[in-house]
Amino acid sequence: MVKMSLEPVQVMSGQVAELKVAPSSNGDSAGSWEGKREFDKDHLGLTAKPKPPKPENAVTVAVSSRVLFRTEREQKVFEQQGVEEYLRYQIEHENEPFAPGPAFPFVKALETVNARLRELYPQSEELFDIVLVTYNHAHVGIRLINTINHHNLFIERFCMTGGSSPIGYLKAWQTNLYLSADANKVREALTEGIAAATMFMPEKMTEVSESQLRVAFDGDAVLFSDESERIFKAHGLDKFFEHEKENEDRLLDHGPLKGFLEALGKLQKKFYAKGQRLDCPIRTYLVTARSAASSGIRALKTLRAWGLEIDEALFLAGAPKGPMLEKIRPHIYFDDQMFHIEGAAEMGTIAAHVPYGIAQKHNSKHNTSAGK
Amino acid sequence: MVSTDQKTDVKEKEADCPVVVAVTSHAVFESGGAEDPDGLYVGGIAFPLLQALQKVNERLLKENPAESLLFDVIVITTESQQQQQSSRITESIRHHGLKVSRFCFSNEEDFIENLLNNNVHLFLTTNRNEALQGSQKGVLSVLLDEHTASCPTEQLRVLFCGDAVVQSEAGPALASKQAAQSFSAQIGKMRGRFGLFDSPISIALVTSRGGRESCGDALRTLRSLGVNADEAYCLAGVPRGPIKRLLRPHFLLSECFSSN
Repeated sequence: MVKMSLEPVQVMSGQVAELKVAPSSNGDSAGSWEGKREFDKDHLGLTAKPKPPKPENAVTVAVSSRVLFRTEREQKVFEQQGVEEYLRYQIEHENEPFAPGPAFPFVKALETVNARLRELYPQSEELFDIVLVTYNHAHVGIRLINTINHHNLFIERFCMTGGSSPIGYLKAWQTNLYLSADANKVREALTEGIAAATMFMPEKMTEVSESQLRVAFDGDAVLFSDESERIFKAHGLDKFFEHEKENEDRLLDHGPLKGFLEALGKLQKKFYAKGQRLDCPIRTYLVTARSAASSGIRALKTLRAWGLEIDEALFLAGAPKGPMLEKIRPHIYFDDQMFHIEGAAEMGTIAAHVPYGIAQKHNSKHNTSAGK
Repeated sequence: MVSTDQKTDVKEKEADCPVVVAVTSHAVFESGGAEDPDGLYVGGIAFPLLQALQKVNERLLKENPAESLLFDVIVITTESQQQQQSSRITESIRHHGLKVSRFCFSNEEDFIENLLNNNVHLFLTTNRNEALQGSQKGVLSVLLDEHTASCPTEQLRVLFCGDAVVQSEAGPALASKQAAQSFSAQIGKMRGRFGLFDSPISIALVTSRGGRESCGDALRTLRSLGVNADEAYCLAGVPRGPIKRLLRPHFLLSECFSSN
């Protein structure tokens, strides 16, 4: 045990201080191994824990604590009793892990894909990198770390901003997707060009695959821009079909989630390259109100021109999406209209709202509450 | 180590003594002794930092007019050339409205002794050599750089570096570590005088290389010192630069966590 004078610290803070020394991970100070009371859990060669990839190589998915875990009780304390009480409560319950939230199955599925990728490409850094990004104060940090440990998640990067906007960090980490419970923060991210969506805790969550990541996207105002939707909203369905037919060969402009689909596609190709097309642990779906006979063609042509593949395209021609999604069981479904999000949630599908485009003007009564 | 014992004795007696911060005149004023039309020195790198320290004092007194845990700022010269500019220095300080309690006109030979005699808890300098000397004598010494110049003046931002990878420029030393821990405890206490929002002090923790366990350990270490961080960033290998630019700390502390 390193002999250190602890007395002054104890007197000052009036508590018996058990000083836990974080080990020197570069080992450049002489005698760094002397009296080491804790071994360096992160860098011990014996553990099989892989190093997190560099942001430029990885597909970075940032999730907030409120969507990764269930924090309703704590939210209530925050709203009803204020922030000081909220933090006190969190610290008091520090050793109680949070329960999984709506983004949890999605994150678990990302880790499953990583495991498969590591098997095939042990040296590659082209993996998912899951980052916890929260407005919480660092006081809650230990509870969050305990929870991550409890659920055995591989999250090694996080930022707790203590109230300020995390957008700068999202950008610094080249975030490919940001999931939060707060629509305002999601909107902020979208404005900065980061794919983002708001998640809600559904009443029930249907079981999803543990071996295959399934991501479903709406078309207009999600993968594509909202240009066609504007026509529909302004002039109705017939005009919409007419417009789409006329412009069949003109590519749609891209929407906020196009980049994420692209990132998924790149990883899929890595499995195909090793002959695992049939057994690919990533599957993507387009679930659109467009119709296969007419307006759907423009969507497909656009995807093809972008060099993007989508595994299954479901053209519902206006039929409700809920039942179809229930069949697909995606880990996450992106849509710009709260109407569809709610419909999906009713049937147990985890849906994420992309607050983008013309449909938002009609969503005003569904705005989520701001806060942590 | 006589000097260290003296320091600990002092601490045991006065629970809420002022936090003595010594800044070199080189750091306070532009290097080269640049002058304005009145022949007074122009503000330098440590300027925003001094203003932030002042802001903290103002707010502390607002909360409690009888507060004794305040920053006590000393301006110290560390070379004979500056030593001779005493009146210009004092005038410039006054002119810029900075509240400095004492001036220490020393030179390169005796400034360390003055630091010790004045029971300095934190020594701020732009000179690497001076920082090293201070550290070796057990005084918490922090090297300021040009980034400090662009920091806010309304809030003191302190950044703790949780892995020893980020060694302080002055090099680790056991006595310096104790000084760092005491200072950190004082900062923690000051921070505790304010609520979560609208605080004139903000404390952030960054761990650069380790994963979440390193950060968790660092948070616990800080907590054991009575420091509750506002923000925490676990980088796990991501370059620190962009994060530091976003955080804009006035200065960095890493000695609390070195494993000496």
